[in-house]
Amino acid sequence: MSPALVVFLVIGTIAVASSILVVAMRNPVHSALFLLLTFLCVAILFVMKGAEFVGAVQVLVYAGGIMVLFLFVVMLINVRHLPDERVLSNFWKGGLLVGLAVFLLFFTMVRPGVFHDPVASDQALRTTYTYRHRKVHQPDGTVVRKLIRRGKVVGNSEAVGMALYTDYLVPFEVASLFLLVAMIGAIVIGKRELSAIEEENIPAYMLERSETEHEVKEAMSA
Amino acid sequence: MNYILSITLWLPVAAAVILLFFPKTAASAIKGFGLLASLATFVASLGILNGFHEGVAGLQLTESLAWIPQWGIRYALGVDGISLWLILLTTLLTPVVFLSSWNTIHKHPKEYVIAFLIMEAAMIGVFVASDLLLFYVFFELTLLPMYLVIGVWGGANRIYAAIKFFLFTIAGSLLMLLGIIYLAFAHFHDTGVLTFTITELYGTTLAPHAQVLLFFAFALAFAIKVPLFPLHTWLPDAHVEAPTGGSIILAGVMLKMGTYGFLRFVLPFFPDATAKYAGLLIALAVIGIVYGALVAWVQPDMKKLVAYSSVSHLGFCVLGIFALNQTSIEGSILQMVNHGLSTGALFLCVGVIYERRHTRLLADYGGLAKTMPVFATFFIIAMLSSVGLPGLNGFIGEFLILAGSFQTWPRATIVAATGVILAAIYLLWLIQRVFFGPITKEENKNVREIAWNEVVALVPLVVLMVWIGVRPNVFLRKMTPSVQQLLQIVHKTDAGKAMIAGVGRRVSGVGDQNRPHEAMLRPPTPDPRLPLSGGVR
Amino acid sequence: MNWNDMIYILPEVILTIGASAMLLVPVTGGRGAKLSAKWMMIILLAITAGALIYCSHAVENIDQSRQLQAMFALDGFSIFFKLLFIGAIAMLVMLSEDFLAEGKYSPWEYYSLLGFALCGMMFMASGVHLITIYIGLELLSLSSYILAGFYKSELKSTEAAMKYFILGAVSSAILLYGISLIYGVCGSLNLLDIAAAMSTIVTNDALMFGIMLLGAGLCFKIAAVPFHVWTPDVYEGAPTPIAAFLSTGSKAAAFAIFARIFYTGLHDFHLEWNYVLATISALSMIIGNLAAITQDNVKRMLGYSSIAHAGYVLLGVISLNALGLRGILMYSVVYVFANLGIWATVLMLRRHQYAGERVDDFEGLSRRSPLWAFAMVIFLLSLGGIPPTAGFIGKYFLFAAAVQAGFGWLAVIAVLMSAVSMFYYLRLVVAMYLREGVEAEFAITTPLRIVAGICLVVTLALGIVPSSLIDQAVLSSSHVAAHAALTPHAGR
Repeated sequence: MSPALVVFLVIGTIAVASSILVVAMRNPVHSALFLLLTFLCVAILFVMKGAEFVGAVQVLVYAGGIMVLFLFVVMLINVRHLPDERVLSNFWKGGLLVGLAVFLLFFTMVRPGVFHDPVASDQALRTTYTYRHRKVHQPDGTVVRKLIRRGKVVGNSEAVGMALYTDYLVPFEVASLFLLVAMIGAIVIGKRELSAIEEENIPAYMLERSETEHEVKEAMSA
Repeated sequence: MNYILSITLWLPVAAAVILLFFPKTAASAIKGFGLLASLATFVASLGILNGFHEGVAGLQLTESLAWIPQWGIRYALGVDGISLWLILLTTLLTPVVFLSSWNTIHKHPKEYVIAFLIMEAAMIGVFVASDLLLFYVFFELTLLPMYLVIGVWGGANRIYAAIKFFLFTIAGSLLMLLGIIYLAFAHFHDTGVLTFTITELYGTTLAPHAQVLLFFAFALAFAIKVPLFPLHTWLPDAHVEAPTGGSIILAGVMLKMGTYGFLRFVLPFFPDATAKYAGLLIALAVIGIVYGALVAWVQPDMKKLVAYSSVSHLGFCVLGIFALNQTSIEGSILQMVNHGLSTGALFLCVGVIYERRHTRLLADYGGLAKTMPVFATFFIIAMLSSVGLPGLNGFIGEFLILAGSFQTWPRATIVAATGVILAAIYLLWLIQRVFFGPITKEENKNVREIAWNEVVALVPLVVLMVWIGVRPNVFLRKMTPSVQQLLQIVHKTDAGKAMIAGVGRRVSGVGDQNRPHEAMLRPPTPDPRLPLSGGVR
Repeated sequence: MNWNDMIYILPEVILTIGASAMLLVPVTGGRGAKLSAKWMMIILLAITAGALIYCSHAVENIDQSRQLQAMFALDGFSIFFKLLFIGAIAMLVMLSEDFLAEGKYSPWEYYSLLGFALCGMMFMASGVHLITIYIGLELLSLSSYILAGFYKSELKSTEAAMKYFILGAVSSAILLYGISLIYGVCGSLNLLDIAAAMSTIVTNDALMFGIMLLGAGLCFKIAAVPFHVWTPDVYEGAPTPIAAFLSTGSKAAAFAIFARIFYTGLHDFHLEWNYVLATISALSMIIGNLAAITQDNVKRMLGYSSIAHAGYVLLGVISLNALGLRGILMYSVVYVFANLGIWATVLMLRRHQYAGERVDDFEGLSRRSPLWAFAMVIFLLSLGGIPPTAGFIGKYFLFAAAVQAGFGWLAVIAVLMSAVSMFYYLRLVVAMYLREGVEAEFAITTPLRIVAGICLVVTLALGIVPSSLIDQAVLSSSHVAAHAALTPHAGR
């Protein structure tokens, strides 16, 4: 057993166990902390596969940014302890069954030899190519424009950057639109009123809204 | 090129479009215009009769335009001996409908007239289309106006009846659509030409099981339409709830779309399957004849009685078709026309007294012959025509069918013949209970006599009943060549094969426009092997 | 990427800039003008459409860079669908006016979100790379979630948005998992590369699993059984114009990527997936149509009917022949226009106390507005596939494709279910024509009239003279069909 395998087994076990604890914990703060642990373990797995950049992003964005947001929200709405029956209901057993089935499916399906592996080395993974049109003087004297490919071995983050800003530029930019839409959505849904004038003479729908909130609370506590 | 078929087809549509601009309240102007338009259509259809060449077997007065060239679907029209009289029946019955409903329809007259005009166009389209998909379009197009006619102007239970009618028919015809698609593809694989032109699809080679499946896909659609036992259950509901005009068209023309479909498509497209399953259809037809007659016998409701008599009479038509010989098929086509005339007249008459007394129960009548002598005369003539009295049209049709089918299916024919006797019983009993005997009900003492518009509507029907009864050859002569050719295809005689080879297997042909059907225009050679070739002369 | 590539994505760029600019208008003081938001959106859509048409001609002389080529295609297929989307969104803008006129909600954010949704749809139509398709789909989905919850003062709308969001997120995860498995096996996410890789693979469990997960995710987006449970609830709860959007534009976009992925990318594994999809298709048609019969709420009925229509469109994917591909294109057009017409009617009747949602509300429509009732009948017949409406032409294509591909049994189920579907479509006809109904007022506004008029003309015209649409569909699908190595079949 190589040291890498030992590390993998330990980290992997922690990742799986802590992700189960995320859903099993009663206290949302504990759940969030276990989620943090899961993220960290996954980050370590990324680093082991030679993807330091992704591992770092995992720590910075998920563990740093998103987790903080989670905790912030949990504290903001002040949910200390979820009711017992909501966590361990019959759905839980069904979910476990489905989870096991999916696990077995993957266990039988995902095995060595199934997947495409064209990359011989870590270096090849980090090779980025640039393309350029060059004028080439042919032996017979004519000048032809030819596409020249140049390979260059770069660092991990540079490779990711190259991929994002060349090959994947279009989806990358569209993803920024996605974030913009998410922001608009948060504003649209979070915003209460249209104008100050309307706020003064409270329209009927706002009353309805407070009613619905009340109903939601009742439903939650029931 | 002669555009008379297109003119006849589109005249009612044009009239319907013009009617859209009539004010809603001008009821008599709307009805008058509708009547005028339908009469003009009738005159146009007389032009078809005029242009029709006797002794020519194939489609005549053909028109052909590319409609959806990508699939080889054409706006192709044509008429032959099989469809000629059905077109005329359609154009005749539509003015009859307008006349009969002159005083009875007060609710939304504009929509009523438009619905019937569109329906007329669609029915003409069914009979003149010589492209399978065009036929299908018209076949479906008849549904919606009839659905609305039953549903809007019908009786108390009209919505149920309308939906039942619609769903029964559409279920069958959608399966037929699949059959059409399959057939066209089979032809495409055969010849490399994608076409829906009927004559070119004749003789498409089909695997035996495919032929059987297609046979049933088509036969189901038409059997529902006819309607053949046990698919007839929509018919009594539809007839009872439909207004008089709807019943006349439904019984007079729409049921014939089924029998016409058998003749035009099922027989020539699937000759092997037809030969194999003719017995089944004949059995159903005979069951329908006897069952329809027996049920009609016990009906207390006059309209239901006539509706069940339709099941019985249409059984004769199907029997004649699947007996597969010249006499029986000619008789069958003639019987379609006869049934349109006599049942149309009967429904009209039932409508006349219903409008006056608002009841259709036989028990509520009696002795009407004294108060309405003219009306009684018309009713009795129509009834006798339906019974099959010699000298009137019904006799000729039924006699030809029975004579023809006796050659091939003697036992079934004997059973079917009891239907004639039963018809005499239940119809005479109807007459007896409605018109004769003492007047038992006070209301029947001063019933209004038949009005001018109803007389005008009934007279042409009665005249034709007598005319066909006395001079059937005038009508039969025009059918003979087409029926002969049909039988040649069905029996796969040499002449039939030659005909198919001449038309069906042409490899080019989607592209060239307005191609005259040369092969179809040749006079047919009588085949001595055919039973009773030439019919009864 | 280079500057030449800009011309390929110019319509999307213009749309994005415009949609973002609309967010800024209220900030700069244009808040009060509600009508102008609508017109600005219409103008934006017109410019986008113009740019699209211009670019589709301009790109003929301009080479695409290698990177863009792997991601994005401006071919006939995508132009066809993009124009359809722009048209659908333009009509939805018209339909939304009354909803926004209530004044509770800001039109600027609303139209802007519609613009971003359209942008996502356009990327979906153009995507030839699973990442582009996925990102476009997510952009569309996220906008849809927000729009579905736009009636935030109503519990039903919030519930609809929540349901849609959670189920949508799960399906996106499934889709993404499928994509990653496919990447693992094929080594690329470009559809052509996937097809090339697959042609060398005989059998591979992980790939099969990936295709199944991908299919499941896509089936959620088109609402095919068994991934359909959200549809009726969301259609019922969402604001009516948004329900119209979900059942037309959004669905057509999902049809587009379904066709593109399965025709261009996965055609080599046809024998493995076609029976699974055939089962899904059959179940969708059966369950969708049967469940629709019992619905009294028109929005729910349309929801179930849209499930059934997803089943019909799947016929075109399963048959994997030229006819089927054209059928998907044509059916999308036919379905969008007929459905929008019906939604316009529902909106028109919506005036009083959320009337217009129940079948009873249609009673006596033929008396109150004969022309509108007639248009409604045409739309319903078109959805039912009855000639001479456009729906018949669309269904004909799909049925013919299935028959040609040897899926006769599926075609039989499809026609029988079409007959069943006529039953509940006729319920509306019965209500409109055969029942008298109460004299309720309703206001037919000009925008609704325009939308219904356009839909009526298109539905009838394509039904009576379909040749031009067929030609267009043949032309537009030729590129994708060529990649699927389809030999030119019947029908040209």
